[in-house]
Amino acid sequence: MTTAHNGTLALRVDRIEPVTPEINRYTLSAADGAWLPPFSGGSHLTLLIDTENGTRRNAYSLMSSPYDASMYQIAVRRIEDGKGGSVAMHRRISVGDVIPVTIPANLFPLSKHARHHLFIAGGVGITPIFAQLEELNLKGGSFEVHLAVRGPEHATLGRELIERYGDRVTLYGDGERGRMDIAAVLAERPLGTHVYVCGPARMIDDVVDRAHEQGWTDSHIHYEKFEDAGSTGEPFTVTLAKSGAVIEVSPEQSLLEAVEERGFKLPYLCRGGACGECETEVLELDGTLDHRDDWLSEKDRASNAIIMPCVSRATCSKLVINA
Amino acid sequence: MLITGIKSRPVYDQLVPMASGLRHIAVAQGSGGKPVLRLLAEMTAGQRASTTVVYSTESFTGNSYLSELQDQDDVELRVVATNSEALQALDDVLSTANMGTRLYLAGSEGFIGTAMQVASAYGLDRDEILREHAGSFVRRVWCAHCDTYTENVTTRVFRCPGCELDLVVRDHYSSRLAAFQGVKADGEVPGELPEIEELDT
Repeated sequence: MTTAHNGTLALRVDRIEPVTPEINRYTLSAADGAWLPPFSGGSHLTLLIDTENGTRRNAYSLMSSPYDASMYQIAVRRIEDGKGGSVAMHRRISVGDVIPVTIPANLFPLSKHARHHLFIAGGVGITPIFAQLEELNLKGGSFEVHLAVRGPEHATLGRELIERYGDRVTLYGDGERGRMDIAAVLAERPLGTHVYVCGPARMIDDVVDRAHEQGWTDSHIHYEKFEDAGSTGEPFTVTLAKSGAVIEVSPEQSLLEAVEERGFKLPYLCRGGACGECETEVLELDGTLDHRDDWLSEKDRASNAIIMPCVSRATCSKLVINA
Repeated sequence: MLITGIKSRPVYDQLVPMASGLRHIAVAQGSGGKPVLRLLAEMTAGQRASTTVVYSTESFTGNSYLSELQDQDDVELRVVATNSEALQALDDVLSTANMGTRLYLAGSEGFIGTAMQVASAYGLDRDEILREHAGSFVRRVWCAHCDTYTENVTTRVFRCPGCELDLVVRDHYSSRLAAFQGVKADGEVPGELPEIEELDT
């Protein structure tokens, strides 16, 4: 099996396939030809992408089969007004290029005890579900998929799933069917049903709210925000207590990115405020923290004693963190 | 001896209405009728109207709350004579229940544990269930040698009705089996039994 150096695998681009006007599918294999590390359905990779404005770290869900260790597949949607990572993937990367990629991590695993798996996705949010379905199909789990797309030309991935899984997949917005009624999809489900949602933030919020209205508890609701949680805002300054380094965080970068740019290291995994890996102690604060993560509890947030540098910011005249 | 504090014994809750639920199922046995009556008193009229109570009159201590439960006119009540019938009734109710259901269990440890086995098989998670212990802490014991379950064990050493070995009741509770483990009491030195003390019932 290929091994990681400085936390990343060297993966070669074997194939680039346009699947919608905005989405390319990339097939990657180990540059040294060895087997790839195994993963489970719902896992993602973080690609270190060279752009004109430095290295971008973008997370993409694995959509190939967890049972195939010869290659990884991801889908990248081009975001023209983003930070440049996805645009570089579409315009600068070609077959044969080698990209540094972190080993797979899973923040969106299947529930082992579910009696029925209900997947709801929007657009490119379908990608982690590809791998989850491979896993369920082999294990024999009961599932159905509801996918919303913006038009027939955006429905390629959905049609692939229909080919594989037939009427267990329902496509909305492809010209044949209208909008997805999320409340109706969730209604009158038998006990032990688990819902997984991946798509735009408003779709996730909608599913969580409708599920709560129908009495679902949080243990049965799973989501992954594939959109960059985003950490742009007003600039601020942070001091690293251990080295004394004073670092400016610009409006376009996260605290974590600013620290890394200066050559320091903080622990991280998801870079999206979900996994808890980068949790850092706040030693001094003159101002307020702008918590943007999904990790800290309300109590932790109110304490002003912990921050998640991958997404959260501060409006302050002074911020010292224990790093 | 092999006995220490019981870390594996479940930590029980107090039954209170779970307001986020749309349907409520309460299953109780013997002394467990009392916390269910308290639960019903704390419910809104709407919650009571969407509640089903299953009550088993089987009781180790002899306590019954049947007549008080029968006085709750606006709550659906199913009365059964044995705990195993109560589990069957729970299975029936859950088989047609939908997401949004909340489950309340009250009674002896063995009763709650075996009801949890039924609930888990339907995929109910801990944030959909409250459990309140009522009555004595008599133990349900699983024999490691012949796979027999014995209800209402009160002493440290007892004879397994399945294989007639003298078993010592260990203080390890298995949630999966809903029972304490019983192992041959004189396995090391034949004929040498540990003290036959009363368990903390």
